[in-house]
Amino acid sequence: MSLDAVSGAGAGELLDPDSPVRRHYEDLANNLLSLEDVGSVVVTSPEPGVGCTSVCLGLGAALAGMGRRVAVVDCNLDGPQLHRMLGESNFVGLTSELDGGKGLEHYGYEAVPGLLIVPTGPLPPDPVSSLEEPGMVEALHVLKESRDLVVLDAPVAGRVLRSPTFWGGFDGILLVVHAARTPKSLARDTIDDLLDSRVNLLGVVLNGCS
Amino acid sequence: MQGRRLLVIGVALIFAGIALFFGLFREPVYTAEATVSLAPRDELNDEEAREAFVQEVQSVVVTEDLLREVRARAGAKAGIEEFPELSDIRPLVTSDGGVGMLVRFSGSEPELTAQAANVYARLFVDRVERLDGGQLAGRVPAADAAVERKAAPPERSSLRPLIYAAFVAWAGLLLGGAAALLLEGRASGWRDVRDAELTLRAPVLGTIPDYSQASPEDEG
Repeated sequence: MSLDAVSGAGAGELLDPDSPVRRHYEDLANNLLSLEDVGSVVVTSPEPGVGCTSVCLGLGAALAGMGRRVAVVDCNLDGPQLHRMLGESNFVGLTSELDGGKGLEHYGYEAVPGLLIVPTGPLPPDPVSSLEEPGMVEALHVLKESRDLVVLDAPVAGRVLRSPTFWGGFDGILLVVHAARTPKSLARDTIDDLLDSRVNLLGVVLNGCS
Repeated sequence: MQGRRLLVIGVALIFAGIALFFGLFREPVYTAEATVSLAPRDELNDEEAREAFVQEVQSVVVTEDLLREVRARAGAKAGIEEFPELSDIRPLVTSDGGVGMLVRFSGSEPELTAQAANVYARLFVDRVERLDGGQLAGRVPAADAAVERKAAPPERSSLRPLIYAAFVAWAGLLLGGAAALLLEGRASGWRDVRDAELTLRAPVLGTIPDYSQASPEDEG
């Protein structure tokens, strides 16, 4: 898929190595790589609409541009965004693996060299319990073996915390807050909830800075 | 940060200014207190009976005539409008069985206020003694009365407005600080990475600028 073919607004900018935002994502990627033993990251946010999917895609593209093999997997089973952002279909993806069992590499596609995109696939009737399915977590673990980093575009933090099998199966959580829109009190409360649940909070991404 | 600081200082200054204005331009109010003790000849069993006794004596002794005399004696030198307000005359019943009257006057002149309280107390005692002398003794239980504590003129204080201003400025600082904290808590803008790290107590691994083509449908 060429960058010109990316029809979703904003995605071209995120995938373009010459984009002005690329260096910001490269800084984020370097900071993430400097942390020890991080092979999979759950990216979540205190509230919807703060740009979690953009951050996942931008981070994945930056890492791929740095020569890493990365996968970005859309785990928003009740409101998938990744395929829309890329202007792609959502016929197969993460949930297809539960039925097909061919491996997530098979249900995704490379947006740019080194960057595997896995959309959600057909949406299950109960997204919350689907996140808890051991088969799904196992499939993501298998994907880790072929990728340097697996980035999981997750639902909002409240929902992630209701699925301990999901968040407990990966190396850490990255919290995205919007610099202009996320209320400080909400962000603080979310951090408190994450720490109370003893998740490995890797850090915060401040999105939409002026 | 600058805005919050200005808010706190501004609220404190406004409060201090208002307090200083009222402190400097409003007449101070001084209060002087005298106490009169009453000793009933008959034994009174409980607190209710003692209080009823004092009220009975008061209703007989305190008349318009008494108040006119207090005003005439204490406020002779002052104009009628400068005479202290008769603020509080109330029965006094102590836990050890003693009864009496608390005579409290308030006014803008400390000496006049104390003088009025003392004259009132003295006249009250005189009239109670006169009761004992005869004409109303059949209706009112007999009692001995004495001025137990004379009122002393309250101390004038030129520092009072400043003390009030300082106190209210402190209250203003607290109020302004609380308002600033409230605004800070409800604020949704993050000034910089340091602000975010201090607020969230977590490292900021990246800052992403608001690029113009951001996807409006990115709800993730």
